[in-house]
Amino acid sequence: MAQSIETHPAGGAREQMIQLFGKPWSGVAMLGIFYLILIAVFSVLSPYFLTLRNMLQIGGNVAYIGLMAAAGTPLIIAGGLDLSVAAIAGLTGVVISMLHGMGFPIWIGVLLAIVVAGAIGVVNGLFTTRLRLNPLIVTLGMMSIISGIALVLTGGLTRPLMVPGFNWVGSGRVIGIPIPFIIMMVTFVGLWVIMTKMRFGRYIYAAGGNAEASRLIGIPLEKTVIILYVISAISGAIAGTILGAMLGAAGPTAAGSQLLTVIAAIILGGTSLNGGRGSVWGTLLAVLILGTLNNGLTLLNVSSFWQDVTRGVVLMLAVSLDQIRTRALGE
Amino acid sequence: MATTAPRLGMHGIGKSFGRVPVLSDVDLTVDPGEVVALLGSNGAGKSTLMKILTGLYTRDGGTIQVDGEAVDFKDPAAAVASGVKLLPQEISVMPDMTVAENIFLGDMPLKRRFGILQVDKDVMRVRSRELLDQLGFANILPDMLVKRLSVAEQRIVEIARALAGKARILVMDEPTAALTEQEAKMIFKIIRRLKENKVSVIYISHYLSEVFEISDRIVVLRDGRNAGTFITADTQRAEVLAAMLGNTVDDLYDVGAPGIAGAEILNVEKLSIPRKLEDVAFSLHQNEILGIFGLVGSGVEVLGRALYGALGPLKTAEVRLGGQSYRPMSARNGKLAGIGFVAAERKKEGIIADLTVRENIALPFEERFERGLFMSQAEEAQHAIRWIGELGIRTRGPEQKIRTLSGGNQQKVCIARWLVEGVKLLILEEPTRGVDVGARREIYGKLRELANRGYAVLILSSDVEEVAGISDRSLVLDRGRIVGQFERGAKPAELMAATGNDPAFQAP
Repeated sequence: MAQSIETHPAGGAREQMIQLFGKPWSGVAMLGIFYLILIAVFSVLSPYFLTLRNMLQIGGNVAYIGLMAAAGTPLIIAGGLDLSVAAIAGLTGVVISMLHGMGFPIWIGVLLAIVVAGAIGVVNGLFTTRLRLNPLIVTLGMMSIISGIALVLTGGLTRPLMVPGFNWVGSGRVIGIPIPFIIMMVTFVGLWVIMTKMRFGRYIYAAGGNAEASRLIGIPLEKTVIILYVISAISGAIAGTILGAMLGAAGPTAAGSQLLTVIAAIILGGTSLNGGRGSVWGTLLAVLILGTLNNGLTLLNVSSFWQDVTRGVVLMLAVSLDQIRTRALGE
Repeated sequence: MATTAPRLGMHGIGKSFGRVPVLSDVDLTVDPGEVVALLGSNGAGKSTLMKILTGLYTRDGGTIQVDGEAVDFKDPAAAVASGVKLLPQEISVMPDMTVAENIFLGDMPLKRRFGILQVDKDVMRVRSRELLDQLGFANILPDMLVKRLSVAEQRIVEIARALAGKARILVMDEPTAALTEQEAKMIFKIIRRLKENKVSVIYISHYLSEVFEISDRIVVLRDGRNAGTFITADTQRAEVLAAMLGNTVDDLYDVGAPGIAGAEILNVEKLSIPRKLEDVAFSLHQNEILGIFGLVGSGVEVLGRALYGALGPLKTAEVRLGGQSYRPMSARNGKLAGIGFVAAERKKEGIIADLTVRENIALPFEERFERGLFMSQAEEAQHAIRWIGELGIRTRGPEQKIRTLSGGNQQKVCIARWLVEGVKLLILEEPTRGVDVGARREIYGKLRELANRGYAVLILSSDVEEVAGISDRSLVLDRGRIVGQFERGAKPAELMAATGNDPAFQAP
């Protein structure tokens, strides 16, 4: 009896810890808290920050990045990785502007870019599944090929892309909400439904959680992963379309620098690079956090060089905290 | 001899993991130049004893003396420094280094040139040459890359490495496991040379014929205790087998009466896989448990997955499944043909650790829980709860992560996956590996129940007691061939004897 009295409180506290932080949602909840803290801090530091206008601005600005991060999340959960996605976004703008310049309707260009992206996704998928090559190497190579082609096609120049109906996709609003933000949110919700409510979603988590076991259970591993590469590539094409429409111009390297942000957001959102674990909501919060950080620091007149530094620090800090939390639970 | 101390004296060795005793009061002595075979079935404590000797584990009690001097190895390096060296079952050589570099790995001779310390390759070459000549292998050259050598020659390089480190006691764990009979002879030749040089050898093997060929003395362990010591020359195999396995039938397997075999479910003929299986043929009926026993490397680890389709299309095999011609193609194909497969390595090949019990159970046949476009979690949960109940899976509920279950309960989940309409044949590899005794009995009971419900159950196992205990019929695989066939009630010793490559031998 005496012994049980002695040990019970500690055991109880530990139980409570596990109940609080061991839930699958706790990682996302922590990101949410961090997001709120960030908003609070910037609100105090800058009077321009916490306005509806500015908040919607952030949502619109991060949308094309969020779109790629959303599609990249299930791919990484399934054990893949797509480094070519931002390059595809760049190529998309180039293809659209060139076809438009040749006299084709703008939407033909968009459609063709999506088809090309789909084909690139299939190639990425086939190389990583059938040939069992490391996705890091395959998609790094693909990134180089695609950005190279985009540069060749344009000679490295940025081309104007001003078409009235088209630019609305980038800068238009529906009941005050930026169109890109709506597209991103629809993507997030759609992927969430697929990943948690549909059979395909089970295959995603199973493939990344234990590929060999999944193969022995007879689930269509290769097909699952190839489809995810296609989804990722197409998200790149749509992101490129949005970016082109927002900027009114298409540059071959327009989106390339955002690749790191995309990957950072997925990891910051709690998706395991080893596969098998993660959620799109974590990614969404991470995208918003990174976008807010950017916006807030700009409002505070911090140079963009220091913004890069800050982003890196936040990423490493958040990932370390998550790791410490996981270890504390003794997993 | 009586006046000098033995090369190795282990006395009263005890070891527990948690509350489970694995070794109690075990003695082992080895004289200089003596070859002692250490025998025992799975879980008898052989490898624990050897891990204590070589400093991988600490002992709870007892003493260890080398050449009369008490020793207490804190880690493997300390053991090696005292001349105690373990050659593990898996060959560990550096394939991209030369023979000489492998032999002197970790202790390369050095020289100083232009004031810089560097490896003295000439000395290394000369000394490697000496060692290899001493072992009788003039054909292995010090400058060869190790990856160009055969498996047996790599073994020899490993032994040479142990000798370069001045090993006085060499522990060899299944040194011939991956070798042909010819190659095994080479290893024996080396062991005889080692004897001449007064090196002591502790030889662990399942193959009785090898043990009788090479050892001077046999020490048998059973359930973590000494179960007999025999002078090899004066001993019959039957005596050793009896000591290893005991003659009592364990009530572990007393889990219900077998049913009457029904229609033929599986018929296999002419199944061959180059270098692994040769002309395997057998049949299996409804309500029947067929056990196939084989030691590591016998082909027992590929036969089940080959039939399931996990090894890809089989070129040479005539298989009928449920009366229809069936060609193993892929895991998916096998599943759709009505085969359920439970793999040996549960963590690597069985569970999806981060998914729940419900998801793990539903995974192979998700389409059956689909309602329109979406999964019906309610139906999945209902299905999971049914089998959690019927198989007695101890879990807080279907939403518990499978990773937090015990090994035995994880295994039951891996079985539950296949218990759906349409599956006729269950293939299980090592069904109770890494499962504690209580859960083992439960799993045997459930397998019997499933057989009685009409499943055909095929078990592939390297645990001879398990196969003898649970099977209605059992087959013995050895070097890819079926070498024995037994009815229910056969003794483990008979099955083990069938692997001995000695047809003259009759079991007790």
